Amino acid sequence: MQSQPLMKMLGVTKRFGRSVLANDDINLDLYAGEVHALLGENGAGKSTLMNILYGLYAPTEGQIFMEGHEVQFSSPSDAIAAGLGMIHQEFMLIGPFTVAENLVMGTTDLPDGVDGVATAREKIRTLSAEFGLDVDPDAFIEELSVGERQRVEILKLLFRDAKVLILDEPTAVLTPLEIERFFEVLKQLRDNGRAIVIVTHKMQEVMDISDRVSVMRAGRMIETLFTKTTTPEALIRSMVGRDVDSHLERSATKERQRGLEAISLVVPRRDGEKLPPPVSFAVFHGEILGIAGVDGNGQTELFETIMGLRSAVDGAITLDKRQLTKSTCHERRELGISYIPPDRRGTGSLTSLSIENNILLGSGAEFSPKGMIDRSKLRQAADGLIERFGVRTPNAEFIAGSLSGGNLQKVILGREVARDPKVLLIEQPTRGLDVGAIELIWAEIMAQRNSGVPILMASTELEEVLALSDRIAVMFEGEIMGIVHRDEATKDLLGAMMVGNTLESLRQAEAAA
Amino acid sequence: MRVRIEQRSEPLTSWWASAALIGVALILGMALAGLLFIPFGASPIEGYSILISNAFLSLRGFGFTLVAATPLMFVAFGTIVAWRCGFMFLGFEGCLLIGAMGAAMVALAAVDGAVLAHFPPLILIALALIWGAVLGAIWSGIVGELKVRLDGNEILIALMMNFLAIYLIQYLVVGPWRVDGDLPQTIRFRRDMWLPYILPGTRLHAGILIALAVGAVLIVLLNRTRAGFEMLAAGLNETAAKYGGINAAVRRRQAACLAGALAGLGGAVVVLGVHHRLLDGLSDGTGFLGIVAALLGRMSILGSAIASILYGGLSIGGDAMQRQTGLPSSIVVVVQATIVLFLLAFEFLRTHRVVVAAPKASSTSTKDV
Repeated sequence: MQSQPLMKMLGVTKRFGRSVLANDDINLDLYAGEVHALLGENGAGKSTLMNILYGLYAPTEGQIFMEGHEVQFSSPSDAIAAGLGMIHQEFMLIGPFTVAENLVMGTTDLPDGVDGVATAREKIRTLSAEFGLDVDPDAFIEELSVGERQRVEILKLLFRDAKVLILDEPTAVLTPLEIERFFEVLKQLRDNGRAIVIVTHKMQEVMDISDRVSVMRAGRMIETLFTKTTTPEALIRSMVGRDVDSHLERSATKERQRGLEAISLVVPRRDGEKLPPPVSFAVFHGEILGIAGVDGNGQTELFETIMGLRSAVDGAITLDKRQLTKSTCHERRELGISYIPPDRRGTGSLTSLSIENNILLGSGAEFSPKGMIDRSKLRQAADGLIERFGVRTPNAEFIAGSLSGGNLQKVILGREVARDPKVLLIEQPTRGLDVGAIELIWAEIMAQRNSGVPILMASTELEEVLALSDRIAVMFEGEIMGIVHRDEATKDLLGAMMVGNTLESLRQAEAAA
Repeated sequence: MRVRIEQRSEPLTSWWASAALIGVALILGMALAGLLFIPFGASPIEGYSILISNAFLSLRGFGFTLVAATPLMFVAFGTIVAWRCGFMFLGFEGCLLIGAMGAAMVALAAVDGAVLAHFPPLILIALALIWGAVLGAIWSGIVGELKVRLDGNEILIALMMNFLAIYLIQYLVVGPWRVDGDLPQTIRFRRDMWLPYILPGTRLHAGILIALAVGAVLIVLLNRTRAGFEMLAAGLNETAAKYGGINAAVRRRQAACLAGALAGLGGAVVVLGVHHRLLDGLSDGTGFLGIVAALLGRMSILGSAIASILYGGLSIGGDAMQRQTGLPSSIVVVVQATIVLFLLAFEFLRTHRVVVAAPKASSTSTKDV
């Protein structure tokens, strides 16, 4: 590593209004040839800091140096001109155009040696070969997979000769296989003298790929370390500010009794898509059946069909041997199905109403015995939930939509488990949540499991599925690729199933080898 | 000096803040519209004192104010029920007229020699009110059904149905139900079918009591019952409502019918309490002014009742002002509209504040400090 940093931030402070201090006296330096992880919980100030670096926000105080010279960015185009590039979580690519067209588009100053699509194509080929990106300049964006699109985004930055690449949660949308590939690309970029920042809250990623790691908490820079010299536990501690208990108490299942069962169930898909083959599975009492899979592979459709929000095309759903294929959502709730949906603001809650009123949502007759709402009982339940789950809120009348994601999820989870469910459906239990909230929600899910509730859970986070599930099913394009016991499940096996290989075919291949 | 607008961290909802905002908006609106008095040689202060004293300070005038406020309340309540449930209904004018027609049907069937003639008057009045509400409910229920079942455009359909109702009444009063004479109207109803006057020396009829009773029932329905909560949930977020096991389509149909019933009841009250006959031009925009009253009352039952009285007072006082000062009647309408616009504009100040600051001292640039 050279002596002079490629980029240096000195005493950067950002205030919003009078009361919010988003970044407090932050120092950060980046050297050419390093992958630098920026770690922190939601609201720690990572995004604000990166947006300042990228010219989206002006810092209240502080200086930024590029290669020793002080710079002031008033917009991203200044930052790009100075050799910075950022990839957001949502890709900014236009589907019906080719890779080359996308790269030329919107660039007011084309890089040296490029005067149109033809020369751009040439440059793309060179860059693609140099960094092992494997991108065809003539491919249409809409035909590319998510992983390929991300490589196009990286190429876009290289095309404009970015020396510092900022990647915001880059692995959120990738399959395990794609992540591996992506890390290879990052290593290549690093070895070619680029500085890379990955903004993340995933510990595994930090350990796997970064050379140095900076931890932020509550707007402050806590520490910057060489990754080799630290451990995930130490990083979590400095990220959260306390010890985190990630141990889950998993009691032995007593008797295997079928709770929820899907029998040759054909789930409707979105308009125009062909129907997936029927799925069959059973969730036993006191068991968590985890569903792994990349987002959008039919998990939500399956859960909504079980909940009665979509009607099954064919097949049957039973709960403790009782048919409920034809029941309405309301009837299924009365029978004891609870559901924690993936979209907690759009589906799981009424964001403009109070916490108290959100507890009323989906409840049965317990709060309105004769049609009249028993407000005092409801208030008691709301206060009880707030206390039990440590929801950070002034009171039960607080508007649910103003809660943070973690606190809102606690309200939804608390509401759904408070009704003593006969079966619990959970999708993305901790998406976008902090370590502290994850700890609490995992513990509650596990407690429900240990008390004998059958739980069907889908998560796109493989770590989560592996940590919680007793058995793991993998979904791909609406189909279940196979179900494995937690002891047999490895990331490699699940990853292979997540891209469309059936368990059977993988086992056969293994046997043949 | 620099003026900028900043969002408040919490909206102003306290009682005194609302009163202050309304007070300032009223004064500013009256002051601005008062400028129009000057070219006619009228004094704004004198004009407004006539307006206020006639509308609110004399017993007889206040009676008229409440009479004018009554149908506004019914429509405002209907607006709250429908809109809270996500049913953007604008067909209250039609429902009101159809309700008036329903009441007239019963009253005309009760004249000497007709089928209902021998029933006691109290039963007949109740029947007229109920029939008005039922017809109003059917009228809006049609729109609701088209909306829920076929996802029809409720705004367009309701506006067209308003015309249908207006011309249906016109047809009836110039055609089959017309009484001999110059005016297109029915015969006067039996005296014992009029809603009783409740305040001696005024024309205030029992309709206001019905409106207030209905308002009390609605407060309980909307805020304290499961049905009210489910209607609200269906209106706020249909996906979340369905997730909660709420049958949003049923709730929306119910809200549509209830809203129409309220406006229909309002129409029945107007014919039985004020005109005592069915006549052309009976509603004349009440079905829309009631929506304004609901908005001014921030979609709360109590607030919209107060707004209805305020608006009724503006009409009654405005008429008196016009008679006594000789101002053209268009000015009275301008006064009303200006005040309403100021009231609505001031709602913005609940969520935002205006900050006047010199740029150097602003908290966002600290380099100069």
